[in-house]
Amino acid sequence: MKNTLSQILLMLTLSGFLINLGSCHDYVEYANDPYGNFDALWTAIDEHYCFFEYKNVDWNEVGQRYRAQILPEMTNEELFDVCSEMLKELKDGHTNLVSSWDISRYWIWEQYPKNFDERLIDEFYLNFNYKQASGIKYQILRNNIGYMYYPDFSSGIGEGNLDNILAYLASCDGLIIDVRDNGGGFLTNVDKLVGRFITEPILAGYISHKTGPGHDEFSEPYKYYFDPADDTRIKFLKPVVVLTNRSSFSATNNFVSIMKSLDNVRIVGDTTGGGSGMPFTSELPNGWTVRFSACSILDPDGNETEFGVDPSEGCKVDMDTTDMLSGYDTIMEHAFEVIAEMRAAGI
Amino acid sequence: MGIVIALLMAINSLYAQANTFDMPKDSSALKIERPVNSAFTFDMGSSSILDTYLSPIKYTGMNLRLGYERLQAMKFNPVPWVMQMDAGIEYQRTKNIPRNHSMHSLMIEYQWGMMHRWNVMPGLQLMAGGSTRFRGGAIYNSYNSNNPVSPKIHWSLNLTGMAVYNTNIGNLPVTFRYQASLPFIGAFFSPEYGESFYEIYLGNLENIVHCGWWGNRFDMRNVLTVDLHFGRTSLRIGYRGQIETSFVNNLNYHFYTNSFIIGVSGEWMSLRPRENTTEKARIISALY
Repeated sequence: MKNTLSQILLMLTLSGFLINLGSCHDYVEYANDPYGNFDALWTAIDEHYCFFEYKNVDWNEVGQRYRAQILPEMTNEELFDVCSEMLKELKDGHTNLVSSWDISRYWIWEQYPKNFDERLIDEFYLNFNYKQASGIKYQILRNNIGYMYYPDFSSGIGEGNLDNILAYLASCDGLIIDVRDNGGGFLTNVDKLVGRFITEPILAGYISHKTGPGHDEFSEPYKYYFDPADDTRIKFLKPVVVLTNRSSFSATNNFVSIMKSLDNVRIVGDTTGGGSGMPFTSELPNGWTVRFSACSILDPDGNETEFGVDPSEGCKVDMDTTDMLSGYDTIMEHAFEVIAEMRAAGI
Repeated sequence: MGIVIALLMAINSLYAQANTFDMPKDSSALKIERPVNSAFTFDMGSSSILDTYLSPIKYTGMNLRLGYERLQAMKFNPVPWVMQMDAGIEYQRTKNIPRNHSMHSLMIEYQWGMMHRWNVMPGLQLMAGGSTRFRGGAIYNSYNSNNPVSPKIHWSLNLTGMAVYNTNIGNLPVTFRYQASLPFIGAFFSPEYGESFYEIYLGNLENIVHCGWWGNRFDMRNVLTVDLHFGRTSLRIGYRGQIETSFVNNLNYHFYTNSFIIGVSGEWMSLRPRENTTEKARIISALY
């Protein structure tokens, strides 16, 4: 019995020792002051951001340069401005610092032509007469071309809604999918939409993530595939044109990169806005949150699309101001021509 | 689990002769009744969560738990062996240091174990044994973009030890109990360092299930209760402390709770209406 008691006491002693073992995984707690918050932000990006190498950013140099601007007595607004400027060095639309009064941003589309006027489409192409389902505006245009405008990948798409839309457009000679000014949303909607334009599984791209805090610690790019919608679902396999501008960002950029790989699809308009890094969120001791690109998604050819997807060859078009004043969308008109060429080529 | 049970059976055989709960020699004439010691408990206290998949900041807040525990002498050898079942659902609501973001955690757990007991002195029993536990749930941070949830799924084999002391405070019978549980091996889920659940949804399941051992995971649970026996039912008050830590895929996880327990407990015996009762019944309680 004494032996038994000794064993139990030994076990309890061991338990006490192991409590300390469990606390071995220490973590750094930053002070809630200008230096602490700056260091917390710099470290969060340093350990998690996925495009340092691709963008050739020397984050240590950037950190030293901006840390020199930090002062113990600076206000929160001043600290926010310095941190925001530091994040802009990443040239990343998915990287934002969020405080209670402002959101820092690097929005690439602010530097390029807008190339889209929804009112013009509504008035001169749809005559304010269109149908709408799952956030998709659709109608058959005068030249028997189907038109779908999907402004937000955050809008859930129902399979039944897609059946109704594509059944309505089934008799059209071609289809225009307009994703201009679509700033992204849920990637799961990309899968659902692409599935209506393919008949066999396709390689949709590659996805890679950080496996540790080092700048070169990445997983092997994982091939991912999209399946066609069920056989019972309605598909559109005639010529398809996707209209893009610089505000086609994030999940929309992903959608365009995959559609571009299909034989019966052309991309018309401007280069997309990019944003191929899937964003994660972290936070600072003062409660600000920071969003940043954490996982890189490559196109089906294994290329980065962080800075956008170019239109198909010969399909780079900007809006012409004179056309707009006359009620024409230059990009839409070019899409009509592309569909006619595709039909003539037997696509 | 089989190894643990075999080990305990071996210990049992070593100490069988020394057991102070000696069965009568004519045990066939004795009917053994094994009442169920049940307790329904409510825990309320504090919690602290650090999950670096969600945030590098430690969140603190409250902890609530509803639990059911069942102890019973085991049928195959009721004197020295006791089984324990413990199930619970718990919720933690925590906030960051500036108190402007919240994290919510919801967990369910189920544990079953068996312990050998020794009556070391009048009123005092010591128990030691093994158990298996499943614990699953998720921590949710509503402010995050593609890393809003950290699922927690953990299955483990545990060492557990308990001390039970029955005494009186004045005329009131009371039972003091302390139990420590220490998982020593198991399996648990963790995404990779910067892996999104979209990638897992796409089918990349590599390196998300891990063997849990003291090199990458340490959990411990301590429960101290006092049952005040006012009559057929008892008032249970006590303390429960939980420690869960893991470090895998460069992700750091600390989960601590300290809670006050209040509940009711009692011993229940099922009757078999079609069987005659015997005056030679012996009641073997799991705790008293």
